[in-house]
Amino acid sequence: MLRVNGPLIVQSDKTLLLEVDHPQADDCRRAIAPFAELERAPEHIHTYRVTPLGLWNARAAGHDAEQVVDALVQYSRYPVPHALLVDVAETMDRYGRLTLVKHPAHGLVLTTTDRPVLEEVLKSKRIKPLVGARIDADTVAVHPSERGQIKQVLLKLGWPAEDLAGYVDGEAHPIELREDGWALRPYQKQAVENFWHGGSGVVVLPCGAGKTLVGAGSMARAKSTTLILVTNTVSARQWKHELVKRTSLTEDEIGEYSGTKKEIRPVTIATYQVLTTKRKGIYPHLELFDSRDWGLIVYDEVHLLPAPVFKFTADLQARRRLGLTATLVREDGRESDVFSLIGPKRFDAPWKEIEAQGYIAPADCVEVRVNLTDSERLAYATAEAEEKYRFCSTTETKRKVTEAIVRRFAGQQILVIGQYIDQLDELGEHLNAPVIKGETTNAQREKLFDAFRNGEINVLVVSKVANFSIDLPEATVAIQVSGTFGSRQEEAQRLGRVLRPKADGHQAHFYSVVARDTIDQDFAAHRQRFLAEQGYAYRIMDADELLTES
Amino acid sequence: MSSDEKPADAAAAPRSLAEALRARDDAGLAALLRSRPDLITPVPTDLTQLATRAATRASVVRALERLDRFALQTAQALAVAGDPASYGELLGLMAGHAGDQAVESALPRALGTLRTQALVWGGDDRLRLVRTARELLAPTPQRPSPTGLGPTVKEATAGMSPGRIQEILTAAGLPTTHDSVSAVAALTGLFTDRERLDALLAALPADSRQALERLAWGPPYGQVTADPAPHLRLLLDRGLLLPTAPGTVVLPREVALHLRGGRAHRTPEPVPPAVTAARTHRPDVVDATAAGQAYTALATVEELLKDWDEGGPAVLRAGGLSVRDLKRTAVALDVPEPVAAFWVELAYAAGLVASDGEADERYAATPAYDEWLEQPAADRWSRLAQAWLAATRTPGLAGGRDAKGRALSALGPGLDRSAAPEVRHRVLTLLAGLPQGAAPDPESVLARLRWERPLRERDQGDEDLRTRLARWTLSEAELLGVTGRGALSAHGRALLGAPQPPRPAVEPSGPGDKLPVHHHWTPPPPVPSPAERAAAAEKAARLLAPLLPEPLDHVLLQADLTAVAPGPLQRPLAEMLDVLADVESKGGATVYRFTPASVRRALDAGRTAADLHAFLAEYSRTPVPQPLAYLIDDVARRHGHLRVGAASSYVRCDDEALLNEILADRRSAPLGLRRLAPTVLAAQADPAALLEGLRAMGYAPAAESAAGDVVITRADSHRTPPRTPPEPVPQGPPVPDDTLLSAAIRAIRAGDLAATAPRRPAGTPQAPGELPRTSSAETLATLQAAVLTGQAVWIGYVNADGAASQRVLAPVRVEGGFVTGYDHTADEVRTYPLHRITGVAELEED
Repeated sequence: MLRVNGPLIVQSDKTLLLEVDHPQADDCRRAIAPFAELERAPEHIHTYRVTPLGLWNARAAGHDAEQVVDALVQYSRYPVPHALLVDVAETMDRYGRLTLVKHPAHGLVLTTTDRPVLEEVLKSKRIKPLVGARIDADTVAVHPSERGQIKQVLLKLGWPAEDLAGYVDGEAHPIELREDGWALRPYQKQAVENFWHGGSGVVVLPCGAGKTLVGAGSMARAKSTTLILVTNTVSARQWKHELVKRTSLTEDEIGEYSGTKKEIRPVTIATYQVLTTKRKGIYPHLELFDSRDWGLIVYDEVHLLPAPVFKFTADLQARRRLGLTATLVREDGRESDVFSLIGPKRFDAPWKEIEAQGYIAPADCVEVRVNLTDSERLAYATAEAEEKYRFCSTTETKRKVTEAIVRRFAGQQILVIGQYIDQLDELGEHLNAPVIKGETTNAQREKLFDAFRNGEINVLVVSKVANFSIDLPEATVAIQVSGTFGSRQEEAQRLGRVLRPKADGHQAHFYSVVARDTIDQDFAAHRQRFLAEQGYAYRIMDADELLTES
Repeated sequence: MSSDEKPADAAAAPRSLAEALRARDDAGLAALLRSRPDLITPVPTDLTQLATRAATRASVVRALERLDRFALQTAQALAVAGDPASYGELLGLMAGHAGDQAVESALPRALGTLRTQALVWGGDDRLRLVRTARELLAPTPQRPSPTGLGPTVKEATAGMSPGRIQEILTAAGLPTTHDSVSAVAALTGLFTDRERLDALLAALPADSRQALERLAWGPPYGQVTADPAPHLRLLLDRGLLLPTAPGTVVLPREVALHLRGGRAHRTPEPVPPAVTAARTHRPDVVDATAAGQAYTALATVEELLKDWDEGGPAVLRAGGLSVRDLKRTAVALDVPEPVAAFWVELAYAAGLVASDGEADERYAATPAYDEWLEQPAADRWSRLAQAWLAATRTPGLAGGRDAKGRALSALGPGLDRSAAPEVRHRVLTLLAGLPQGAAPDPESVLARLRWERPLRERDQGDEDLRTRLARWTLSEAELLGVTGRGALSAHGRALLGAPQPPRPAVEPSGPGDKLPVHHHWTPPPPVPSPAERAAAAEKAARLLAPLLPEPLDHVLLQADLTAVAPGPLQRPLAEMLDVLADVESKGGATVYRFTPASVRRALDAGRTAADLHAFLAEYSRTPVPQPLAYLIDDVARRHGHLRVGAASSYVRCDDEALLNEILADRRSAPLGLRRLAPTVLAAQADPAALLEGLRAMGYAPAAESAAGDVVITRADSHRTPPRTPPEPVPQGPPVPDDTLLSAAIRAIRAGDLAATAPRRPAGTPQAPGELPRTSSAETLATLQAAVLTGQAVWIGYVNADGAASQRVLAPVRVEGGFVTGYDHTADEVRTYPLHRITGVAELEED
């Protein structure tokens, strides 16, 4: 006999299982979303996780422990373990014991409402170099430049500080959205609102769901000079293009700061690469951060943020920061640094939800398993460990399968994505398609992309240079022949290439060609995990099946 | 106010405790024996003996330790009152001159408690505290009383010169007397007369009065210099401070009491501190939470024993579980180590796990575990809960060290604490006293327990055992699902048994009776009989059963290769899934993940791919996702592709016909040949036997080395594995050292003494070889005399089996019905119960 037949099951390991087909599932999702991280969203049961980060996030957003406990108890199917409730209350209670505020006389200070906590953290070796003089029993001065650092360390110590020191407004600059014939989608508006309300933070949206517009919307809210950090030059150009098209900004107001151009304008788009260029042990382009009184800093593809940029970001805590990403999965596990330095996650929408709303194309994900030939198997078995992946992922059979898929979707816009240049060159040759790789010049790339967009070229073979931020609206089929080992976010980004909504609303196809019984298959399984957890069910096909079909 | 020893009139007032006891009715005696069970082990022969035993130090200490705080305060007050004291005097000491309604109404109950326990006897006009108790509780310089009172004037002036006493009388404004006794009486009279003492004090300067006030609430001793300041000199002159030693003065008890307004205690605590509710939850929420936790308890115990199924951890040589094994278990159960220790101990207490007793001793589930598994969930829980309630083992101690610094390990020795069941029961009873759904403030529970047993607080440093036991009880009850969100659940209440029926009225009637029943002193055995416990447990199980989740017969399969069981699963289903998938998350639901390894495990367990498909299709409420079906097929395709077996040797021959011939030959059967390939036979026989066998069959085989070369056989030298040379064995046993020698000589002499010592009959003359026989009074007297003189005596002793023996004993202590002494016959210190000693004879002097 169950007392309440709620949609939620609270597990003792602090995961929450939400039955999505339950009539109360939507209410429940709304109730737990503020404090629980959506971890997996497959078809029947979504998994959320209650983490200290999530709970503190909820506190920062004005929720208290009572609300969290109520949400859990109200929707839970089984009695909620008491220990978990106690733990929730205790964890949330840790937030806000310490606050960073502006002191009229001493500048940035760390104050506490609970003296022993302050004593405890001040004893920490890592805190000592970050703080200045003790002002009174409950207050200690903090070097303004260490604002990010101290937040990061306090978080690690389990006493997250509430940052009430506010932001500098930066140099004002008028920016308006020009919503002529288009408008921000509801979730984009929500994302902008959440971000602005929270001050700084990360917005997670699927590829193709219009993250650039969230950036533009935020700039229109900030109405100040903005520094945008992107992954590469092509992406920088696209941002510029999009901003000119969607906002009141003109070409002249937007500067590009990259390897080739060094313009500093009210809105400046810089690449991570140029920022992290090191000469004689120093980063010469760092001054960009100080070159203007920026009011907003936008980090595109925040999951790729290189480590040195983290360090600079720690010094920028007084400026509003917006992180954009499709997958807050970092293969290096530095998600908590993103949280403490850029800010907490302010908005997150499950991919499938956006798909259901029609803003991204539905995708059919297929894993095609190819068999190695007998001679290849022998060669694979004897290959050196570091060569194994390369060997099996570039097997001859993959080429045949790729050709078969291309034949099958003839006439549609097809992207072939791979890791190894030899393989790509060979594919390009056989498919009679141009290849874009690292050595392709930017001009050449743009030209090919344009041709692809216009439909002059149907098939494009790209290396991982095209992983991010290239806007290929009409690609409907992506074929992945090899990848960067088990990278989950790469897989998601690649799927993202085909998710932009199609003009005719038809389905996108994503093929991953995998060599059976090799490490290629293991890596593929790992890569697919993120998407599988987002509800993308991979179908598995035998290469033979596919070859005989076509 | 009345007493249980009802004197017919003043003339018949008892003159001793024995007489007071004799005057009691059977119920009164029963109440005494129930409250002090140590008095009937062994059963005393008569009331005189009972009274004597009730007054022994050990027994009185034990009885005092079991008093609640107010009864103890009352006893302490009696210890500083006159002997005998009237009820009025006692009330004055407890309530003060000003009076105190709460004290007045609680005092009859406290006094009744003391009387029931034979710590106080005599009528209301002549209350007498048992002498041993008075000695224990009355203040002495070495052991200050909790009352903070010092000695009386009489005691404090005991060593004073008569001249000095007369001086004090004069200074205090009293006429001199002829002798010190009357002088002390006069001074005492002055100090106990409130008006005269007020006047005397009023005449003192303020700083003198302040000095007195400082000592009033104790400690009553103060330091003075050789030449005291004038304001102290005034006090010393008047006897308001009396010297006890050079440089030390004491405030006489009478004066202190006057300054305190007559009260012996600064804060009498007549009413037990109430157990307060910290939070109140809805009773159904409490029950559901507790039931959820109860289910978790079952799952955890099951998981623990499943983890130990194929050989649990080894038993340490000293007994118990090693720290590493406990850690490993804690990780496996995903709980902190102390919690893991609790589950392990719980399974042990419930008889579900034990040492297997093999040479290589390990822990393993008992056959009872298999029976337990078959029971309905609610019954399984009630068995655990029952075992927990009654267990004396305290898992909370595991991981700590005992008094000798030895590590205490879970399942190991030294974890038994006899107070545990009683404290557990008491804590739960206190919880049951709260309204339904109310979670107590743990500190208030602890405060209440401390009130009920104040004397155990004496331990310094750490918290005393009872408090720790109580804390553990609260947390363990939550783990076990007896409580939910801190409040006692309905099934927990049932487990505790019905509220205790009121005891026969041995307690005094009077104002005390107006207090709620649980404020009464309850006789100590709160642990109910096994039959009662079983009935209560059954009732608890009935209440719990509907709250436990019903096992489900389906799971939800998802394309990310997980399966979610949205509740507990039926056993066969759960067992199969445990093999087929890895558990990723536990709780109300279970999340399983399918991996190639887990599928392979199922195939290894003898399932076929078709079985697995059928199984998933049957139990999945959703269609089996294609990747999962694919995973199973993919693993199954490769499973068993390679085959591995053991063979001792092989036969290789390019001529298939020859191999056919060998196989067909009946003589080859003992070689265990099997054809692996057309040109290869595998054999179970070792290469030498195979060669020999084939040669015997008339073939000419050649041996092959590992690399395939033909081995040229030559007789090889035989060698043992590495060996150490033998240790030299010395002739005869080792030479004994001095200690051993002297001990041996002593034992020999002792035996000799016992066998040959001529005896001098103390009582009736007796034949040699017969057991000495004396009356019990004589026995006691002779033994006590022997303690004083330090002599050895000859005793006759009948052991528990009725076997008589004679022993030579040098008694050291006669106490509590036992004699302890150095037994020359056994050559060690031994303790004998007096009632088993047939008699005592003195040893013939040399």
